Amino acid sequence: MKKYTYTILAFLLCWTTACKKLDTLPPSIVKDADVFSTAAGIQAYMSRLYSELPIEDFRYSPERGLNMFWIISPTSATTGEALSRDQNGSMQENTGLSTWGDCYRVIRDANYFAETLPKYASNFTPDQVNNWLGEARFVRAATYFALVKRYGGVPLVDKVLNYPEQSIEELKIPRTSEEKIYDFIGTDLDYAYTNLPETNQAGRANKYAAAGFKSRAMLYAGTVAKYNQISLVDASGNRLCGIPAAKAVTYFKAAYDAAVLVDGKYSLYKKAWAAGDKNAQYQNYVNMFFDASSPENIFVRQYHYPESVHGYDAYNVPRQLMGANGYSSEVNPTLDFVEMFDGLPKNADGTIKTTTGGKYDLYTNTMDLFANAEPRLRATVVFPGDIMKGVSIEIRRGIYTGPSAGGISPLLPAGSTAHYPTDNIVQSANASQTPYKLPNGTTMNPAGLSGYFTGDGTCSVSGFSIRKYIVPDKPTSEVLENRADQTWIELRYAEVMLNRAEAAVELNALGQSDKSYVQDAFTQINQIRERAGADLLTGTAGVTIDVVRKERKKELGFENKQYWDMRRWRVADKEQNSTIYRTLMPFYSANDNKYFFDARLDERNSRYTFDVRWYYEQIPQGEIQKSQNLIQNPGY
Amino acid sequence: MKKLFYSIALSVLVAAGSSCKKVDNYAAPNVTLKGTVTDAGTGKSLQTEQGSGTRIKLLEISWSANPTPFYISSYQDGTYQNTKLFAGKNVISAEGAFVPLVQVDDAGKTIVDKSQTVDVKDVTTVNFSVEPFLRIEWAGDPVLNADGTITTSFKITRGTADANFQQNVSDVAVFINSNNYVGNNNYDNRYTPKLSGNDANNTIGKTVSLTTLGGALPGKRSYFVRVGARISYGLNYYNYTDVKEVKVP
Repeated sequence: MKKYTYTILAFLLCWTTACKKLDTLPPSIVKDADVFSTAAGIQAYMSRLYSELPIEDFRYSPERGLNMFWIISPTSATTGEALSRDQNGSMQENTGLSTWGDCYRVIRDANYFAETLPKYASNFTPDQVNNWLGEARFVRAATYFALVKRYGGVPLVDKVLNYPEQSIEELKIPRTSEEKIYDFIGTDLDYAYTNLPETNQAGRANKYAAAGFKSRAMLYAGTVAKYNQISLVDASGNRLCGIPAAKAVTYFKAAYDAAVLVDGKYSLYKKAWAAGDKNAQYQNYVNMFFDASSPENIFVRQYHYPESVHGYDAYNVPRQLMGANGYSSEVNPTLDFVEMFDGLPKNADGTIKTTTGGKYDLYTNTMDLFANAEPRLRATVVFPGDIMKGVSIEIRRGIYTGPSAGGISPLLPAGSTAHYPTDNIVQSANASQTPYKLPNGTTMNPAGLSGYFTGDGTCSVSGFSIRKYIVPDKPTSEVLENRADQTWIELRYAEVMLNRAEAAVELNALGQSDKSYVQDAFTQINQIRERAGADLLTGTAGVTIDVVRKERKKELGFENKQYWDMRRWRVADKEQNSTIYRTLMPFYSANDNKYFFDARLDERNSRYTFDVRWYYEQIPQGEIQKSQNLIQNPGY
Repeated sequence: MKKLFYSIALSVLVAAGSSCKKVDNYAAPNVTLKGTVTDAGTGKSLQTEQGSGTRIKLLEISWSANPTPFYISSYQDGTYQNTKLFAGKNVISAEGAFVPLVQVDDAGKTIVDKSQTVDVKDVTTVNFSVEPFLRIEWAGDPVLNADGTITTSFKITRGTADANFQQNVSDVAVFINSNNYVGNNNYDNRYTPKLSGNDANNTIGKTVSLTTLGGALPGKRSYFVRVGARISYGLNYYNYTDVKEVKVP
């Protein structure tokens, strides 16, 4: 027995002496050296940085925030571009979201990268190192931009913070001024522009992406300086909300100069475009969003089924193309959006013309009204009766069965939000319809296959559906949530041109004449209009700030840009002031065998009111509790 | 064995239960703070809207020099009341469509501070006397016209002589609604006439009449009318008249 004890004791003794290296990390943990020693490791790090970059893409809505799969309250339904059954008003971003915290995590990752990479620089060429450092700065700038456009001045963190080496008190960093944040973004993007390569892997930034982002960010800063009325100054004189008006020229110039850097490096997508051919122009505009080799794409976010996906098609296809998840028609463009475009019959006040002498105009097909519509509009919006995926998208409000001799008078008084009278109108409550027997003996469903249904909202509630970004050849079996993987184009050259035109017109308005700004804006706008198949501007006298803004709304509609544009222009509270958006309802007249259209206010009576406070969003209360030096924005 | 197990389990439970001596016996909040925000020029309470109108800001300094503010929204007639507060020492001010009680210059220095430091206990009344941006007076009661519309006459004047708050009037509206909660937060835009831009700014000092939009108002009901106007300053708060009722037969 004793012999065993000694043996075990001796064995244990030998064992303990073998344990020399106690202070070592488990091999299952990835260490800096593993990541920063090889190009593959760097690429993995970059992949994370880019995937967390806070951009408002297919996976964003103000209700549910960034990088969320479930987008049934689409951004465009808060701005008046569209109506949706699940989003019935204007809103600031949901204050329960973690955008603030998520952004600072990305900033930390970018700072960590920039501080750690130089230690491993000997593994790479100087060019590689500079390119990557440029990318980290690009990511950091884009993230600060996401913060500043929401909250105004935020805490400026430009290095990795460490706890417990730094005390809690030290880490309660107060907000800095809005102006300083924009200047910081400008500096970072200048650094990125200098260090980034001419071209880069798709989905990663090259130097022109940095320039394009700079034109965007500086334009925001300029418009805030010019149009903002809100001020919040902390005790040490930092203006947390607002930028001095005197800085407007500086920022507009920076935006203009940055946009010019991209000139000649990218171009508008015109592969299938042909002068005077509306059909070719339409097809070209549709194709633009799906061509990976498009010369217009400056910065994109790629998706790939099954590991990185979204559900854009499933949520937004017209009702009759609905997939197995049962979602459809979340984005239904408003008549207000459609009326901005050329090629539609218009009344003197710019609204669509559907009546003559107080009686409805009659059409054999619903598409007749849109026969001459601007190709860009047709490529953005599905008209009632237009073709998508080989079928005619049928949108009909109901069948009018009343007398038609002498014409049909408007069904409702102008400006009414009432439901239609049911006396002479047959309609359907939902998609299971009872066919109506027409006087000529044939039968017809009261509503179209894609609506309008009076009972449930699973239809086109505006009379239109969305075409932009819907994959034209995706089989219905694949129209599912988390099944779509088309690329999101975050920055395309058209936006840079619009940034340039806007900055130019603003500079001209501020009395700057060192360049022929108006002439330049004229050129930019007309290039965009030509590609769109729209009416061209005839002279520089027509280039006003309103024209430039309207062009921007049209060109970038449904790309989640207008949400921010309305804010930086400080027009959201004017545009959305108990506003009801308009819809266009096609009816079939049984006695005429023809269609007529009723332009009306949204029957659901959704009122949009933008609260002036929302120009600066509420800082999450949880963040203020963690860091009490943060001052809340005004009004919350 | 089983018996032993149960008795141990039981004694643990009893021990655990009896250790819970500290119940939360802190008194529920029962202090009332109330008051009125009045127009220093007229002595009347300053009309506002609920939600994005006047609110009272409380900074409780009993515990911390840098507290998170607590806000009480005012009623639309300019009074406010909260009956569920804890007693404590508070720095109280108000925010709304009037010259700010606390003003900070561009360097961050507090140049005006009319907030009140009050020991809030039992039932405390704190009133504020403020200079509204705009003062809107009725020029007679709203009139129901023969064609079924309502015409409202009013006069807008500046409520303050302070040069920093003489921005242009950006909007004037005669808000119409079917209940007496009427204002920019709650109105029927089918009927509500509005002026903006130069048209709005030109109303200053004149008696102006506006008529409801959209033809004859549907009958057999009451409408509630209120005039609002605002200047382009800060959060663009509206100043209001009080609410008048118009019965449409």
